[in-house]
Amino acid sequence: MEISKEIYRVLADIVGDGYISDDPVVCEGYRSGPGGYESGLGYERVMTKVPGCVIMPKYTEEVQKIVKVCYRHEIPYVPYSTGFYGPRSHPHVKGALLIDLKRMNDFVLDEKHFYVEVGPGMVYSPIQEECMKHGAYVVIGGGGAQASAIANLIGDGWSPLSHRIGLPHRRILGTEVVMPDGEILRLGSLAQGGDDPFWGESPGPDLRGLLRGYTGLRGCLGIVTRMAIKTLPFQPERLVPTGISPNTALALPEKRIKWINFVVPSKDAQVKAMKEIGHAEIAGAVTKVPLFWRAIAKAECKEEFWDLWGKENEQTVANFHIVRVLLIGYTSEEQMEYDERVLMDIMTEVGGVARRTKPSDESWIKNADSAGMWLMCGGYVSVDYVIETMTQAPEHGPAYAELKKKYTPPLMPDYGDPGWFQSFEMGHQGYSEFLVYWDQDDDTNPVDQFYVDTSKMNIKNRFYTSLLGPHQPLYLTGPKYGPNYHEFLLKVKNEFDPKWMSHPPVPLAHDVFVERAPWMHNMKDWESPKDLDKIKD
Amino acid sequence: MANESDVRYYKPRTEFALDIKDIQNFVYDMSRCIKCKGCNWVDHTYMPGAKFMTRCPSAEKYQFDAYGAYGKMRIGHAFAEGRLEWNEKALEIIYACTLCGACDVGCKRNLDLEIELSLESLRVKAVKDGVGPMPAHKKIAENIAKTHNMYAAPHDKRKDWLPAGITPARKADVLYFVGCAASYTNKEIAQSVAKILKAAKVDFMLMPDEQCCGNTLFSVGMLDEAKALAQRNIDEVRKSGAKTLLTACAEGYRMWKVDYPKLLNISTADLGFKVVHLVEYVDELMKDGALKMSKAFATRMAYQDACSMSRLSDPWTPYQGKRGWMGCVEPRLKRRRGTSGLYAQPRDILKAIPGVNLLEMPRTRENAFCCGAGRGTKEAFPDLAKFSAAHRLEEIKDSGAETLVTACPHCKNNFAQAIKAGNEHVQVMDIAEVICASIES
Ligand SMILES: Cc1cc2nc3c(=O)[nH]c(=O)nc-3n(C[C@H](O)[C@@H](O)[C@@H](O)COP(=O)(O)OP(=O)(O)OC[C@H]3O[C@@H](n4cnc5c(N)ncnc54)[C@H](O)[C@@H]3O)c2cc1C
Ligand code: SF4
Ligand code: SF4
Repeated sequence: MEISKEIYRVLADIVGDGYISDDPVVCEGYRSGPGGYESGLGYERVMTKVPGCVIMPKYTEEVQKIVKVCYRHEIPYVPYSTGFYGPRSHPHVKGALLIDLKRMNDFVLDEKHFYVEVGPGMVYSPIQEECMKHGAYVVIGGGGAQASAIANLIGDGWSPLSHRIGLPHRRILGTEVVMPDGEILRLGSLAQGGDDPFWGESPGPDLRGLLRGYTGLRGCLGIVTRMAIKTLPFQPERLVPTGISPNTALALPEKRIKWINFVVPSKDAQVKAMKEIGHAEIAGAVTKVPLFWRAIAKAECKEEFWDLWGKENEQTVANFHIVRVLLIGYTSEEQMEYDERVLMDIMTEVGGVARRTKPSDESWIKNADSAGMWLMCGGYVSVDYVIETMTQAPEHGPAYAELKKKYTPPLMPDYGDPGWFQSFEMGHQGYSEFLVYWDQDDDTNPVDQFYVDTSKMNIKNRFYTSLLGPHQPLYLTGPKYGPNYHEFLLKVKNEFDPKWMSHPPVPLAHDVFVERAPWMHNMKDWESPKDLDKIKD
Repeated sequence: MANESDVRYYKPRTEFALDIKDIQNFVYDMSRCIKCKGCNWVDHTYMPGAKFMTRCPSAEKYQFDAYGAYGKMRIGHAFAEGRLEWNEKALEIIYACTLCGACDVGCKRNLDLEIELSLESLRVKAVKDGVGPMPAHKKIAENIAKTHNMYAAPHDKRKDWLPAGITPARKADVLYFVGCAASYTNKEIAQSVAKILKAAKVDFMLMPDEQCCGNTLFSVGMLDEAKALAQRNIDEVRKSGAKTLLTACAEGYRMWKVDYPKLLNISTADLGFKVVHLVEYVDELMKDGALKMSKAFATRMAYQDACSMSRLSDPWTPYQGKRGWMGCVEPRLKRRRGTSGLYAQPRDILKAIPGVNLLEMPRTRENAFCCGAGRGTKEAFPDLAKFSAAHRLEEIKDSGAETLVTACPHCKNNFAQAIKAGNEHVQVMDIAEVICASIES
């Protein structure tokens, strides 16, 4: 339903006239647009709409009132923390209300109990800076220091620092959610009725799973308005920012924190080294990143990237085995020295050779340079991220690399680079992320097709896929991973959002996309309800 | 491009130029914005914490995404493609922006997008489409046409600032371009500059008939008028035989060094003379021993990096080329990333003054928060100018400074008003005044 003048007035009274607008120019400023994550692809062109109105609440009570108005008058709405996460963060139906949460950027640090409490407008780098001032740290999701911590933690929440800090689910403590119809849900110790968010758990079922599932519900089950996030002890010395943009980095106090890059002889050696480092319970991060990231880091401009990357080939990529280790002297210099000796022993065993490594950190600790991903091509998406065992995860990348050949071009020639792979939770898990790049001025239909083909590949190879509901056709993945995952998810959705006002048609958006995009029809070899195409746009 | 691999797509190359006269030149840049908001956040490496996190005055004041560069890029793209109609809001979004370049340098930390040029080009389009600039800007243009200065002050009083006992040379290597502000509203700056030059025994000349640099005209998109002034002023300097064009106004510095060449489609190097700001000149004089900061000034001091002499001041080189696969351009383009900003010189000067305790604000150098006055903002959107200065003042106070030093009369005036309005216990001085006080015996 359109937002009538009367409803607009009611909404304006909630937040004040300065924080609501249905001006077409203001709304155009919120377009998903052809640039950015997954953008320029069919999903963005077919599924996203410019909002009909934008509102910027400051307090939970305002969010609650807004959502209640929406529910009463059947106005679809979309929560939006920073909007960085591409088309899926933008309205999919005409006339929707975009609820921009940037003003909800409260920040409280509880030094004694080692947690921070934030609103959805608070992004990662300030949180990390405040934490480090108090001897603590958090994982900045690889998606960037500019991502909303809440939006990241209810969907993703990992980076190389996850080697020690571990999975995001357990770092979510007391949390407050405005449910799709405007009711407030408090999780963890906040459910006890007090104002202490220290515990993530609370009596009864742990609803954090409902909140984020594996990689989140992407705004289709209400709005998180407040979250306490667990922090972990760091080392005490200051990491000093140096340089002038674009060459800025944190200078590391080398006796307490340093990166070391090792070249190892083979993939087996790489996996073994990572596992052994985990078993020895040393290091703050252990990772292997795609070779082209090195070219991004070295290149001053996109043309230079292609100069550097043009020198690589299938052979050099296949022979590139690097293990990047971040050592942190959490408790003392002596502890760091001990860790380094253990690390060197492991590397001697697997034949690893330490390379000269800069005594600085450009990415991961406080800044996560995700914006650089767009430097060389303009089009980018991570088609999948998988958390598996350490032995299974490295199998995932090569399978992708193989499938990708069929779609290159338009995908960037990456010579079979198997993507990003790292240890999680001290080697108890392996993480693999597969990234693809393209020029959005090319025919991008094959990229849309590749995306869905990756799901089919995962199903065929029995890889677990993270991007179940909100990023892939639910009726393709649900029956295979459930066998009734899709039915379960839809029941949850129908229970809490019977009118489907919270970011429709997520979690069926990709199913709808496949119906609407003619170039996807030949991909469809699964059953889905006949009335999908009746979902209004 | 090296090693053309056989899997590449060979699509036609499109011609483009870094020419703000035509918005189509920037459709690529505007359409590639990824909403990372690196244009708004302080460089994450330097992020000071949960306070003072942003660097875009426009986004900070109005909050809607439309006001940040990410919104402006989407809006600009829609205008370039004819998908959007001009309205009052559009003009506010485009002009309530200090063109401070924080977005440009933030974006170019990771990407190769021309954000500042896109914003400038959008204003040129607004003027071409007959909707821009804002009424206050038109008034300034009128003033300049009539009186050769932006304030409509009498032209024959332009040199009235000259202090007794200082006579400019007829012929000298250094030509001091005073600018409208220092000629009329901030004579103390021009007087200080003259005294500093005298103390260093540097002869300087003035333009026989100095006129406005055209900063506001250029900044609001009135290119024809700005170009005429650029040509006239450059010709005057060339005629004078000066080797160095000296200015103590940040906006003027950027005009001479970057935007005149841009308007005339020449390189900064082809101007035929060197453009220097007072801080560069004094820094050199100090290093050569010609000037010494001797008189003590016991104060806790903070320095405001003026946008136009920091992230906006990389020299200009015209560019015309083709964009092809993956957006790569030929011939190679050295992007202007704001790396030649005058960051060290003012700090070295201030630190050399006995008694000065120079404190860095959390947002400093390329991350500095604009005072909000420049490029036609204060005249058309005084609320934004007031807001920006008040916002920055919070940071100045937070740093513990009692003296704020600026290097541009527009910054000084805007801060002075905000200090007065807020009844703040901070004094603001131009760096020329500070230097002058320290060298005067
Ligand atoms: C280049 C790139 C690389 C990435 N790599 C990683 C990585 O390595 N590690 C990692 O952890 N993540 C990664 N991601 C994911 C990414 O970090 C997202 O988790 C993050 O961007 C979400 O924050 P945001 O501010 O962008 O959210 P938004 O774009 O604002 O929103 C994201 C989704 O969440 C919903 N939403 C937003 N706020 C709320 C709220 N308060 N309540 C309910 N729903 C809400 C929105 O509707 C939307 O569907 C990557 C993303 C990109 C683009
Ligand atoms: S020029 Fe300055 S005020 Fe304008 S959008 Fe960029 S950062 Fe904001
Ligand atoms: S930094 Fe550049 S790409 Fe990122 S949001 Fe700003 S303008 Fe867009």
